[in-house]
Amino acid sequence: MSNPSFDSPSFGNPGSRDKILNTVHGNQPAPRELPPLPEGTPIAAGDLAPTFITALEAIGAAAYIVSGFDRITTMLHEQFPGARRVVTGCPQLSAFAEAATGDSDPHTLENVDLAILPAHFGVAENGACWITEMQMVERVLPFIAQHLVLVISSGSIVPNMHAAYDRIATLEATPASTPYGFSTFIAGPSKTADIEQSLVLGAHGPISLIVFLLDEQLSDAGYY
Amino acid sequence: MSGNNHKDHAALSAEFNKDEPRVNWHDETLWWVRQKRDKAAARVPEWELLRDTASRIKENVLSNLSGYLRQFEEEATRNGVTVHWAADANEHNAIVFSILSRHKIDKMVKSKSMLTEECQLNEFLHERGIEVVDTDLGERVVQLAGEPPSHIVLPCIHKKKEEIGEIFHEHLGTPKGNADPQFLTHAARLHLREKFLTRRVALTGVNFAVAETGEFVVCTNEGNADMGAHLADVHIASMGIEKLIPQRRHLGVFLRLLTRSATGQPITTYSSHFRRPRQGQEMHIVLVDNGRSVHLGRKDFRNSLKCIRCAACFNTCPVYRRSGGHSYHTAVAGPIGSILSPNLDMKKNADLPFASTLCGSCSNVCPVKIDIHEQLYKWRQVIVQEGYAAAGKTAAIKTMNWVLSHPGVYHSAGKTGRWFMLNVPFTVKNGLNAWYRQRDMPTPPKQSFGEWYKKNKK
Repeated sequence: MSNPSFDSPSFGNPGSRDKILNTVHGNQPAPRELPPLPEGTPIAAGDLAPTFITALEAIGAAAYIVSGFDRITTMLHEQFPGARRVVTGCPQLSAFAEAATGDSDPHTLENVDLAILPAHFGVAENGACWITEMQMVERVLPFIAQHLVLVISSGSIVPNMHAAYDRIATLEATPASTPYGFSTFIAGPSKTADIEQSLVLGAHGPISLIVFLLDEQLSDAGYY
Repeated sequence: MSGNNHKDHAALSAEFNKDEPRVNWHDETLWWVRQKRDKAAARVPEWELLRDTASRIKENVLSNLSGYLRQFEEEATRNGVTVHWAADANEHNAIVFSILSRHKIDKMVKSKSMLTEECQLNEFLHERGIEVVDTDLGERVVQLAGEPPSHIVLPCIHKKKEEIGEIFHEHLGTPKGNADPQFLTHAARLHLREKFLTRRVALTGVNFAVAETGEFVVCTNEGNADMGAHLADVHIASMGIEKLIPQRRHLGVFLRLLTRSATGQPITTYSSHFRRPRQGQEMHIVLVDNGRSVHLGRKDFRNSLKCIRCAACFNTCPVYRRSGGHSYHTAVAGPIGSILSPNLDMKKNADLPFASTLCGSCSNVCPVKIDIHEQLYKWRQVIVQEGYAAAGKTAAIKTMNWVLSHPGVYHSAGKTGRWFMLNVPFTVKNGLNAWYRQRDMPTPPKQSFGEWYKKNKK
């Protein structure tokens, strides 16, 4: 078998690849079948958003169900009065924030106070949101910003990680979408408990995370 | 790390055990983490099915590892990633060094990677004038302290916050006496942000690599792997060849298990899927064997290669909790390290399978159902047979073998032992008896069961 990475500069001993593969092949046990995958405990449709919000709050994030981007703008003005550089990947927020572009050096994002980005969906069991490279605009943006806001549709929440990967497969199979080069689940603000197991929010990434669940059917009346 | 090589687990534990309040604190902290794991597991009704599924996926991986490695290489290469193969630690280190040299770079950031600890990459690069900054907070703490991590998930779990405050005062200039975790973490954030912004090469570990798509997943809570990788011109990911899984959807099973088993969180803050380098970036994957392909051929021990490095077996282990990670003198400590390390160097690590009570708690919490305690027991037999057991242990086992295979000797030895313990207890209750050192001797019965049975059978 030819080495597919033949043209790429590789610095190891050229014999190592075949040596490793041959030893592995000689030593691996008889074939074992892959098991069927579990579906996980179902969650009723009406409980998905509440479960997701509870999971997010338990990991140090906040979540709000909102009627639209106007409401998001109002709330962000209240929450982040001191934010100097606000960057977004949501075209609906162009009056409120600088539109992120992927064509500059990622290091120029080091002074971003707040990034507001769309994400594909949320996972009820753990509060994670799936966000692909396209939505981040620049890969480092959701990590380098001091504070992060993610916006998902309230109807997009899946019960668990099995359903999450089914959803990802569907997204990837959509003819219009390019397969992601980078993507991540984000569950809460960055954190560490490395010093005596004391939980501290804001390790290297965002100090806070807010997830907005867009529900266009919702009236804003309850929030005033 | 190498400074500890001459002392075995028992001697290093004895040192750790000199400070009893610290041992108790270490023990309780890890038990608390273990309890968080229990609560998280109990909240998932299908937990046992998940463990079983994960175990079976990994068994499939091991049975077709050569095929999955080829598939992964092909897909990753198609994605624009350069794949390297390293037969051993030295080759891994040489590959990383050559990538750095080609770019004329002498400074890099690194996120958590137990594999690079195993390969002693930092030492290798340091000798060649390369500065490596570990960016995981716990790893940075131990790096500044000049120590190896003592735990694969919680690298500085053995350090008190006052000690960390002192280390930061010395190296980062924080005020003397400040030991507030919030304050110290913020100081590290500022210190490391400067490194992320100025380093052009970032090395990360790999939690899972997907054969089907050629992508790999890196899980962190701090976001340090992402900060490093997305700001660097060159991203190097080092992985052991056993980290492969067949398909992306299998990640659903492993990501549900990993962090619940590790810290009791439902998932890490970031589970990042790297498939292609970003525009203008170079991405390398180094596939490292370093003994794994040989280990795969050991029927009784191969399934330790299913390990996903959650450290649940560390946190539950009564020996680990009371002896500390450094007593294991290997990159991966704890029960799993004790069954992986003898494969790497049986002579040097001959003591580790004996650093266990064989209580089986490790096997009970393992998310991929590795029979850890049974392998510990099997390693003991291999080590004694190969002649690597400590002299005292070998002599005791040989004597026991002789006594047990001679019924007459067995009966009179029992009688003699009971007489000594009853009449002159100081002959067994002293420092020369290794068994007595951490234990009390029982009060012996007046007669053996055999004698009692003879008297009462009528």
